[in-house]
Amino acid sequence: MKTARKFLRNGLGVIGAVIILVLILVAIFAPQIAPFDPNAQDYNKVMMQPDGEHLFGTDDLGRDIFSRVVYGARISIQAALISVGIAMLIGVPIGLLSGYYRGFWDEWVVMRSVDAMQAFPFLILALAISAVLGSGFGNAMLAIGIGFAPAFIRITRGQVLSLRNMEYIQAARSVGVKDARIIFRHILPNALNPIVIQATLAMASGIIAEASLSYLGLGVQPPTPSWGSMLNQAQTLMSVAPYATFYPGIAIFLVVLGFNLLGDGLQQVLDPRSRK
Amino acid sequence: MMFVVRRLLLTIPILLLVSIMTFSLIHMIPGDPARVILGQEATPEAYQALRTELGLDQPIVVQYFSWLGKVLQGDLGISITDRVPVSELIMQRLPATVELTIGTFLVAILIAFPAGILAAVRRGTWVDYTSTFTALGGMSIPSFWLAMMMIIFFAVNNQWLPASGYVPFLENPTQNLLAMILPCLATGLRESAVLMRMLRSSLLDVVSMDFIRTAKAKGLNEARTILGHALRNAMVPVVTTSGLMIAGLLGGLVITESIFSIPGFGRLIVESVFKRDYVTVQGAILVSAVLVVMVNLAVDMLYAVIDPRIKAGKGAGE
Amino acid sequence: MFSTKMSKAMLGAVLGTVLLVTGCGGGSGAGTADSGKTATAPAAGKKVINIGLKADPPSMDPSISTSLYDRQVYASLYDKLFDIDAQGKIVPMLAESYEVTPDGKTYTLKLKQGVKFHDGTDFDADAVKFNFDRNISGEKSRRKGELKFVESVSVVDKSTVKIQLKEPFAPFLSVLTDRSGIIVSPKAVKEHGEQYLNHPVGTGPFTFVEQVKGDHVTLKKNENYWNGAVKVDEVNYKVFTNGTAKVQNLRSGTLDIIDDTPVKEIPVVKGDTNLQLIAESGMGFQGIYLNNSRPPFDNKFLRQAVDRAIEREAVVKVLYNGYAAPARTAFTKGNLAYNEQLNTPTAPNADEIKDLLAKGGKPGGFDFKLYIATSPENEQLGAVLQSMLKQYNINMTLEKLEYGQLIETGDKGEFDALQLGWSGRQDPDQNLHDFVVTGTSNNNGRISIPKLDELVVAARGEMDEAKRKALYDEAAKLLQDEAGYVYLYHQYVLIGMNKKVTGFNYVPDGLIRTATLDKQ
Repeated sequence: MKTARKFLRNGLGVIGAVIILVLILVAIFAPQIAPFDPNAQDYNKVMMQPDGEHLFGTDDLGRDIFSRVVYGARISIQAALISVGIAMLIGVPIGLLSGYYRGFWDEWVVMRSVDAMQAFPFLILALAISAVLGSGFGNAMLAIGIGFAPAFIRITRGQVLSLRNMEYIQAARSVGVKDARIIFRHILPNALNPIVIQATLAMASGIIAEASLSYLGLGVQPPTPSWGSMLNQAQTLMSVAPYATFYPGIAIFLVVLGFNLLGDGLQQVLDPRSRK
Repeated sequence: MMFVVRRLLLTIPILLLVSIMTFSLIHMIPGDPARVILGQEATPEAYQALRTELGLDQPIVVQYFSWLGKVLQGDLGISITDRVPVSELIMQRLPATVELTIGTFLVAILIAFPAGILAAVRRGTWVDYTSTFTALGGMSIPSFWLAMMMIIFFAVNNQWLPASGYVPFLENPTQNLLAMILPCLATGLRESAVLMRMLRSSLLDVVSMDFIRTAKAKGLNEARTILGHALRNAMVPVVTTSGLMIAGLLGGLVITESIFSIPGFGRLIVESVFKRDYVTVQGAILVSAVLVVMVNLAVDMLYAVIDPRIKAGKGAGE
Repeated sequence: MFSTKMSKAMLGAVLGTVLLVTGCGGGSGAGTADSGKTATAPAAGKKVINIGLKADPPSMDPSISTSLYDRQVYASLYDKLFDIDAQGKIVPMLAESYEVTPDGKTYTLKLKQGVKFHDGTDFDADAVKFNFDRNISGEKSRRKGELKFVESVSVVDKSTVKIQLKEPFAPFLSVLTDRSGIIVSPKAVKEHGEQYLNHPVGTGPFTFVEQVKGDHVTLKKNENYWNGAVKVDEVNYKVFTNGTAKVQNLRSGTLDIIDDTPVKEIPVVKGDTNLQLIAESGMGFQGIYLNNSRPPFDNKFLRQAVDRAIEREAVVKVLYNGYAAPARTAFTKGNLAYNEQLNTPTAPNADEIKDLLAKGGKPGGFDFKLYIATSPENEQLGAVLQSMLKQYNINMTLEKLEYGQLIETGDKGEFDALQLGWSGRQDPDQNLHDFVVTGTSNNNGRISIPKLDELVVAARGEMDEAKRKALYDEAAKLLQDEAGYVYLYHQYVLIGMNKKVTGFNYVPDGLIRTATLDKQ
């Protein structure tokens, strides 16, 4: 496809895609890649500096940090995909319907709710929803997904608004084509571009949001290694084992960078307004 | 004038909605403040007595409307767990966060402007690519991790800068500013990346517009063109982004405040949620929403200052 | 639209408001007597001691207080009828001496004379009676539970008070070494009513200046302290929820004392030549509530299996580096009921555990869920325990709950296992009765063993110390056999201090008594 070739010419975007691919592979093949069981505690090897056997050192329970970082990739991938998936599942349909039918529901119910939700500090919203649902990874994903939904509603609706007035749409309506068909076959495909871009960027935010929630004490249950909860643990070790804070953070950084590069690359390809 | 009035009127239903959402959400969290206050010293009688004393056994709707009634009279109520007026709590904690926000924003601008302009002026060269890559990198660093790295380097290994020890500005300006350096840097670096990208792309958009080409045709060199004419007009999306950023920082600085032990507003909200201090959470989120609205309004008014100069300008569309 | 000038003006107004908000505020505390300035750079020659606290002390009113951290500040603001010494024994304070009738029901307290409250009023028997009445019948009083055996309090003369109990209650004096024994100024209470907590007045070595919630409490020297001249001019309690930051501030000199040192920071404190670490056994315990009222832990053998499978020495070593003591009973060294033999852990015996599992009907192991708090330390504890139990096919899953929910879940009994301990009190009854007797308020595990109830209740009314100890020995043995609660370790008091601070005397309740402190 022309788009694909265009994308490949964008150096940075390709780097991003490669990083994400590596992440997915690491997550899938974690058992093969990790030299140790991430939860295996060894009280004789507590807080050891990185060396040949333990590439990233060990934590205060003697667990191998490298293995934990590798398994942590699974959580991060899931955090990115599930939270954004939920956000899109909620946000896109509402945006489509709201933008297409307009009227009271759109203006006063949907858009005011979106305004209200976006007036909330995001982390606090996610925190509160998380507290209501109960701790655990799944609920944290739901909380983050709900927090991201307003942005998707806004973007989808914005696209629908500009598209619904196009001539071919109006023509279809006047001819009597069913609404559902119009929405799904004509509007949605053309609205996808900004949604996809937003999705990639949201995935980056989703990873950071999961890490933030883990930092605040919600999120995955111990002893599951997530990069965010590893950072939370490592905070107590800052004075004696600073390397424990370094590696999970680098991992988060690389993955988020990957998503951002990918999103940037996609934006250059898909968004007709940008040209560099 | 009508514009401002209309906007302010529109925010009322939003604020109402925010307060209802907050109320419902926080009451849905299992546990209540009586439980948290009594902790392990709770006998069933003491617990019930405290619930009644705090008015928690009344129907939710009644509790909400009695709170709303007081707010409309300007009273944000009394903190359930701290027994001091909520407005006092907020006034004690808000300045630190506002200062942090301003500091972060300043750091962001000070880095983003030169970098963004440079990247636009030297578009296509290695300068451009490096700064784009750096910006994307900067956007990707989790700010709380950066904060930890900075603490380890600046405070633990070499004791150059304090990692905590916030004092109010009026009390001891030097100490206050010193304590603010690391947190503002940690958060500002990331925000600067976002701003820089936005500025660069916006500048490039403007540069290709007709009237700029006219200026170039008249013989002005590129740098001066950009600085003189394009910059002003490129500000619109930058202002939008800045507005969103500032609004987001008010509550988003929670983790920074926590790492650097700053008694700030974001932490107040989070701590109150954990203590189930319903009244403080309600009041604080309302104040936060009002601030966000004000910032958005200021942004929109800024357009009025910048905009009239552009004939074929971009509007701030929805 | 409106003119550019107008817009600029409005913009200025908005920005101005923002700056105004930043500039002011942040220092206005509740109930300031003087204009409160927390001196981080003290005025010339002024001696200031800055104490770092782990959490914000919510209330300066001992009658309604429920938080540990309040008690640290009370050590400076208030005096109590009795106090505890370094060995954990009760000694006189505001009560100079006492007599108790052989039936244990009538206490006569002789009060110290010549003591004045910070507001100048006299400390006397009327004040003591006022405080008792307030604690017993005050609407908001949280002290009712521990004072429920008091029938009446009467003033005999200006310096003598008589307290009549409904039945003999051996822990009574111990209760008076804590919040219930704190005497506040009746005048201040009458004057401020509900707002008293923002204007506290006691007899202690320091008087109240101001409190900024979530940040600090400032006190200044009581010039007329009855128990010796106070050497320090000002004491500031500063809240540092972040343990690492707290230690950094200790090292940099911003703090002189910290109430608790995170275990991982201990090497840092010990390695710093300017600092010293006071590490002694406290009075409390940490452990796991097992829900005795429903499967799997309604089965005694399964409870025993979990209890025996945990290697307490290893827990203490890995998590605390030895700065905690393994526990198998509620009582620490120095406590009347302390029994060294019963409290010593035994190494797990795999055969014994397999046997217990078989007897409990689960030879292949079983599953259960442990609720823990959200702190990183707690997570690590959970992970260690999980790993230990896994060897025997006991699969424990962990779930984090934040504090309020943890307490609620415990109260409602909706758990298999729950990790909660107790900060500890001077008297053995206060560490046992309400945790194991049927139907008591902290008995989250719903333990109900009639013989145990009998022993503990009898020990409560027994005035003879030797007989009491015997009863507690029997009770502790029985509880251990039943494994109703899994005791894990006794936490240490870990106070970090700058060597410039002198005059510190360690007391097992972990409170920093500022009356005797001095600073070089």
